[in-house]
Amino acid sequence: MTMAKTQTDSEHEWTPRIVAYCCNWCSYAGADLAGTSRIQYPPNARIVRVNCTGRISPEFILAALDMGADGVLVSGCHPGDCHYTSGNLKLRARWAIMEKAIEQAGIDTRRIRLQWASASEGQVFADGVAKLVEQVKELGPIQEEWK
Amino acid sequence: MTDKVSVALMQGSSCWGCFQSLIDIHLRLAEVLPMLDIKFWAAVADFKHEHLEGYPDKSIDVGLYEGAARTEEDIHHLKLMREKCKTLISFGSCSCFGGIPGLANFSDIEECYDVKFRSNKTVKDGKVPTENVPPIAPVIKPNNQYVDFDVYLPGCPPTSDLIFKALTTLIKGDELVLDPHTVCHYCNRDKQETPIPEILRPFDGNADPDRCLLEQGYICMGSATWGLCEGQCVNKGATCRGCFGPPPPIMQDQGANGIGMLGSYAPLEPEVIQDAVRDPLGLFWRFSYATSHLGSMRIRREEAKNQ
Ligand code: SF4
Ligand code: SF4
Ligand code: SF4
Ligand code: FES
Repeated sequence: MTMAKTQTDSEHEWTPRIVAYCCNWCSYAGADLAGTSRIQYPPNARIVRVNCTGRISPEFILAALDMGADGVLVSGCHPGDCHYTSGNLKLRARWAIMEKAIEQAGIDTRRIRLQWASASEGQVFADGVAKLVEQVKELGPIQEEWK
Repeated sequence: MTDKVSVALMQGSSCWGCFQSLIDIHLRLAEVLPMLDIKFWAAVADFKHEHLEGYPDKSIDVGLYEGAARTEEDIHHLKLMREKCKTLISFGSCSCFGGIPGLANFSDIEECYDVKFRSNKTVKDGKVPTENVPPIAPVIKPNNQYVDFDVYLPGCPPTSDLIFKALTTLIKGDELVLDPHTVCHYCNRDKQETPIPEILRPFDGNADPDRCLLEQGYICMGSATWGLCEGQCVNKGATCRGCFGPPPPIMQDQGANGIGMLGSYAPLEPEVIQDAVRDPLGLFWRFSYATSHLGSMRIRREEAKNQ
């Protein structure tokens, strides 16, 4: 597994690196809206667009953490609003089990966050990113856990 | 073929089930044994470790390493096998993915010592032994972090048919080609893609013998598991526990994929599904924790503690 270079090695002050998986139809559009509406939110999230959160395997989240992401966000359509009917419900069920496994493996579950934000909810998306960044800042770099 | 093929078989920390499965090829042993020149197999031939150490490098054609590397001695033997063997087979799921011994990484080494030695209910004033035993590694790292393997032959244990096929192919000097399909491919049960209304424990109710077990609510790892066993459990009536590990490309995260499939079938409320799946780490990563993402983070953490 290739490891992302840890930022704590450098002289720069550490800032959390967050991988954010957003579904194309709601949250990616919501993130877009947050940008065009000039809503202020932390610049830590690297957004990866997926067609639907139902496409997300727990592997996406676990691999990101394993490779050194300090936190992972998944943002999709509200339950009932998924453009493929139930992709988000499938992800939600996977998430619930995965979250428990992450806890069992001794990793703080405050490093991961699942949220729903529609295309018109730029503010909800931005607040979610801010919340996760704040949680992760309290925990520190993930690589500190094995340093 | 006139020349015999030289082989060495080494056991790390394991249950000997894989070698037992080899012996279980029964009468076909009569076909295989005359082709072999056994250079090392502690349980069967009277060679000592010094003999193995004394052979020239790459002088043994085929080596099988069973088990995980829990002790410093295991690690030494694993590296030694790599030096001496031309083709090294990772034999069984312990060897491929950490397997059952890899579950020890759920706890740190001190917790393991407590249970095994210090507070062991069957002894008084238990101590961690230090004499006449090899030191124990602080954490179980998967074998492929110590050496490269040429062949992965997983299974807990690999079936006798699979072992027979692999050995006869390699003895002939042919390339071993293993089909990449998952257990579902070999499962005769009917699949209709119905969402599951609830998750059942193995002892709940009576399963329909003809329908996919996962569709009936029983957690089956078949879709995330390499089907080299040809679906022997699911075709008899038991769910797949995932003992052959992930399919090729070999080091995918089997547990993550198993959870992925369960979520697709059971889009239930989070509280409901969390209540039904009591021990996800032990259930979905039972055979592959050491090589998984969560397992590799744990290993790094334990290594850091011991530095
Ligand atoms: S893979 Fe299974 S059968 Fe083989 S040694 Fe390990 S525990 Fe025993
Ligand atoms: S999930 Fe299990 S029961 Fe269903 S088809 Fe696959 S192997 Fe068979
Ligand atoms: S069906 Fe599953 S548990 Fe049974 S032998 Fe095959 S891989 Fe192992
Ligand atoms: S399309 Fe947005 S979660 Fe399915």
